[in-house]
Amino acid sequence: MIEIEHLTKRYGADIVVDDVSFTVEEGEIAVVVGTSGAGKSTLLRMINRLVVPNAGRVLIDGQDTATVPEDELRHRIGYVIQGYGLFPHRDVAHNIATVPRLLGWDRKRIANRVEELLDLFQLDPGEFAQKFPHQLSGGQQQRVGVARALAAKPALLLMDEPFGSLDPVIRGKAQDDLLAIQRRLGTTIVLVTHDMNEAFHLGDRIAVMDQARLLQYATPAALLAHPAEAFVEQLVGTAERPFRLLSLVTVQEAMEQGNAEGEPLPLSASLRDALSQLIWRGREALPVADASGALVGRISIDAILRRGRSLA
Amino acid sequence: MSPRSIILRASALLLLATFIAAPQLFAFAFEPLTVNNAPAIYNQSSLLTLTVSHLRTVFLATLASTVLAIALAIFVTRPAGREFLPLSRSLMNIGQTFPPVAVLAIAVPLVGFGEKPTLIALFLYGLLPIFENTLTGLMEVSPRTLEAARGMGMNARQRLVQVELPLALPLILAGIRLSVIISLGTATIGSTVAAKGLGEVIIAGLQSNNVAFILQGGLVVALLAVLIHDGLGLAERMAARKLGRSADEVS
Repeated sequence: MIEIEHLTKRYGADIVVDDVSFTVEEGEIAVVVGTSGAGKSTLLRMINRLVVPNAGRVLIDGQDTATVPEDELRHRIGYVIQGYGLFPHRDVAHNIATVPRLLGWDRKRIANRVEELLDLFQLDPGEFAQKFPHQLSGGQQQRVGVARALAAKPALLLMDEPFGSLDPVIRGKAQDDLLAIQRRLGTTIVLVTHDMNEAFHLGDRIAVMDQARLLQYATPAALLAHPAEAFVEQLVGTAERPFRLLSLVTVQEAMEQGNAEGEPLPLSASLRDALSQLIWRGREALPVADASGALVGRISIDAILRRGRSLA
Repeated sequence: MSPRSIILRASALLLLATFIAAPQLFAFAFEPLTVNNAPAIYNQSSLLTLTVSHLRTVFLATLASTVLAIALAIFVTRPAGREFLPLSRSLMNIGQTFPPVAVLAIAVPLVGFGEKPTLIALFLYGLLPIFENTLTGLMEVSPRTLEAARGMGMNARQRLVQVELPLALPLILAGIRLSVIISLGTATIGSTVAAKGLGEVIIAGLQSNNVAFILQGGLVVALLAVLIHDGLGLAERMAARKLGRSADEVS
């Protein structure tokens, strides 16, 4: 659990982060979103003390980070930045092994961990371990960057615009992969982005920042239903609000008994995707199948609309 | 490297080695250049001894310049030494603008004749290229890479040894190569103050008006320079290839 208490950073007369407090539960993803210059990155860098706060403190599992030596603290916190900052003179295996080597793990343990991570990130160890960063595509570099940050099994991962330099097609896939890996490892993540879609896609909770202040910290649904300030409302997009809400609810929650014609939709699809399919295929209802492919019910346009109105 | 260039280099090396070891074999080529039955091949001391002490002088002077220049470049790129950057740059530039001949003239009364004044002159002259290149190499390391290194908990020394110096290596090597080549040529003037070296052959040729001597001294120095330049260039390209840059970018 990460507790951020009254963090404040000033540079001269400029106040960059103004009295920000929030708590991230174990295994959750907290997304800090806001316009550029809102103080998001500074806030993130105060968590691993790359920036020393003027006031306030950060507790990780109840321990004040100011009491831990900086380097030791950073060995325990994964850090991914935009552009990844991979070491150009080290191959993929050595890049990933950075923190374990700093921690003095033995050779065998490091080799096992590197192979495990390469597998986890779908990079064939035989093909990629010896490659240098300049020989990798953007998506592969991104995966190596995250693998490197996770190498020493940190309980907390900080990510500063980790998908910022990927093109939109790869970005969606990279976000899904990160979610899958996070669910599997149970890592707590604090992620900074300026992309609202990314925030809704990844965040268990979203922190909205503007001009150094934290405006609202809430679940995506609560942020949509009860935006605390006009700025939050503007940021989440009033016109898009119903669709964003539908994207947070799965088919399972609006499913009805009965049958329908056509190709079935998976239970885990969002209502937004379901509605889009219904419109595009010109049907009033479609069957729903569970993960094994067995038909379990149907989803109709009416049910989705009813559900959408109840959310608003 | 193409097979042709390997053959070319190998034969140049072979030619040089043979000439140094047994210069008399080549007497026929130099005889037409002599007059009044003067010797065609320098015979006051062996060419091999002169070459070895010439290389020794260059090696020692470059080693000293390398150690000081790299140490200084590291110091002025750390937060504690940043304010000394302009000052050390000026000092290095002064070292380069002072003609080695003038340094010899000043050094002889202080340290006497022999190898020492030459070492001092070459040392001062060789500092600038290594210093400037190391400086550029260290300052060109991407801030993003350093941010990542800090974020992963590398301390200042680990960042320097594991990240900054390896990334600056191709440029540092280029600086050393430049310095060695300059020194190889400049070391010949050391013979004017009685340092053992290939300059002796050239100066003897000038004094006795023997073109053959001048030519053989000059040729050996030139061949040495070309071969050493080549060898160090190879090391640089290997270092650069690891970083995924083409060799042209560093040389």
